[in-house]
Amino acid sequence: MKLTNTLLAISAIAVMGFSTSAMASGGGAQLKHAEIDVTNQEQLRRGLTVFTDVCMGCHSAKYITYRGLMSYPEIGLTREAVDELRGDRSLMSGMISDMSVEDATESYGKYPPDLSLIVPGRRGGADYIYSLMTGFEHDPDGKVPDGNYNAFYPGNRIAMPDPLSWLEHDASETEELEQQAHDVSAFLAFIADPHQNERRAIGCWVVGFLLLLTLVLWRLKVEVWKDVKH
Amino acid sequence: MIEKLMKTQLFAWVDRRTGAEAIIKSQLTEYPAPKNLNYMWNFGSLALLMLVLQIVTGIFLVMYYKPSAEATFGGFTVAFDSVERIMRDINFGWLIRYMHAVGASMFFLVVYLHMGRGMYYGSFKEPRELLWIIGVVILLIMQGAAFFGYLLPWGQMSFWGATVITNLFGAIPVLGDFVTQLLVGGFAIGDPTLNRFFSLHYLFPLLLVAIVGGHVHALHVVHSNNPDGIDLHKPEEMIPFHPYYTIKDAFGVAFFLTIYAYIVFFNPQFAGYFIEVDNYVPANNLSTPAHIAPVWYLTPWYTILRSFESKLIGVLAMGGSLAILFLLPFLCKSAVRSARFRPVYQIMVIMFFIDVIILGYCGHSAPTPTLKIVGQLSTAYYFLFFVALPFLPKFEKTKPVPEGI
Repeated sequence: MKLTNTLLAISAIAVMGFSTSAMASGGGAQLKHAEIDVTNQEQLRRGLTVFTDVCMGCHSAKYITYRGLMSYPEIGLTREAVDELRGDRSLMSGMISDMSVEDATESYGKYPPDLSLIVPGRRGGADYIYSLMTGFEHDPDGKVPDGNYNAFYPGNRIAMPDPLSWLEHDASETEELEQQAHDVSAFLAFIADPHQNERRAIGCWVVGFLLLLTLVLWRLKVEVWKDVKH
Repeated sequence: MIEKLMKTQLFAWVDRRTGAEAIIKSQLTEYPAPKNLNYMWNFGSLALLMLVLQIVTGIFLVMYYKPSAEATFGGFTVAFDSVERIMRDINFGWLIRYMHAVGASMFFLVVYLHMGRGMYYGSFKEPRELLWIIGVVILLIMQGAAFFGYLLPWGQMSFWGATVITNLFGAIPVLGDFVTQLLVGGFAIGDPTLNRFFSLHYLFPLLLVAIVGGHVHALHVVHSNNPDGIDLHKPEEMIPFHPYYTIKDAFGVAFFLTIYAYIVFFNPQFAGYFIEVDNYVPANNLSTPAHIAPVWYLTPWYTILRSFESKLIGVLAMGGSLAILFLLPFLCKSAVRSARFRPVYQIMVIMFFIDVIILGYCGHSAPTPTLKIVGQLSTAYYFLFFVALPFLPKFEKTKPVPEGI
């Protein structure tokens, strides 16, 4: 009975953590759900393409090296594919955008943030990234120019100009653009913690072993204590 | 098994030179423990486990961590880069770092439950006053260590949390600016701050080890309290610590490690409670996060601080809310220890636990007028609890205490 209470208290604290995980970010609108699978190589490679073709025009991901694109099995590019991507950059170089700080400041007023840790670094994570990509709208008040109004950005005025050209797209392109937004969200979620799949895989064994150990020690405890009357 | 070991020639050799047999007998195999301890008595050994885990993982992290606020490409710093190197390039660096980051929260969780146990069952009362006081010293050093450690990744919340807390010392009359500058190593949080916090973050756990030694020693002089809070004299009420409590603690450790491992491997950020979202953004002294809050284990005291308009009174209240814990054994005058036999105290202390959780919630959330009032009322109850304790025996009708167990 008393044990049950203790366990309940511990699990209540644990649940408290999960229940707030779906908290929306400060943009006002309810975040849309990103369909991502960080174990899906095809999606991650498609996301990588969106990243290199679109995002890297301005943004870097300095903690992801070109060698990482080969060595992380989730992406697993061949040496040839990586050589093509990196040009004359070193294999050990991070994925650095060609845009200089001066150019960025002149064009957008600020230097675009590095995207290595953008998913854990924003409330809503991958959902926020997906929503942001597909959240460019005409300002209902007509104050913010087109391309700078985003329903999900805190304060709605974003310096980043509509990277996927969402605002003016035809209905026929919707599906393709949404897929690109999903894919790039998946890629960014993956690179934020490139050992996450390995971590979860090992975690199953660790937690499984500890459950077994707990069970064994519990039976041993009962056995040792069986003569104690209380 | 121990008996077998103690019969070997090797053990006899060691024993002649150390008196090991007497120590093992007095501290383990013949150390008397009440036989009715419930599972709330497991948190002491769990706290010790967490201390060891934090030190071991910390030692490995220091092999790769670099305490430097020197700027690197993209608005990052050498310190932030070294943490990411641990997470990405060092073999199993991610495991060590998540164990350490989650470990800090788990350490506080078990210590708070350990303290709550002590308050509920009156374990702080005569003759265990000093045991409790040493425990409060441990809590304060832990909070200091956690605060220093939180600066090290040099993320936004590291930077701004340290800014807010070090500025508090500015409220001290006359000496305020001097103390703040001494702590910060300059006029604003910067590279000197990072270096001294790193030094202190390594020092404090060593102090903890020494003081925890004192805590365990004091315990082994006065022995464990029990859920009934009565003095036990009869031999049949006691059982030797080994094997009974070693196996019970081992079971507790395995159970706890399962939960700990689940969080480390599957949810290390714990929805921003254990590793805050803003700390994935590199520190930027030109951009203040929308909402600055300490990690959950410090938020109750943060709410007490924020409950007062005057900064000085807020700082004094926050300091007082921790200092008053030292006085608990002397404020609580009832001859009965356990809340089981003290109906009024039982309600008061359970309300106190809920009160601390509410304080924590208020401190973690963005401030609103409602939460401010809730926080102020909770702060009032926090102090009222301690102030009311000395008057409790005057009207509280305690239930009859059992003769034995």
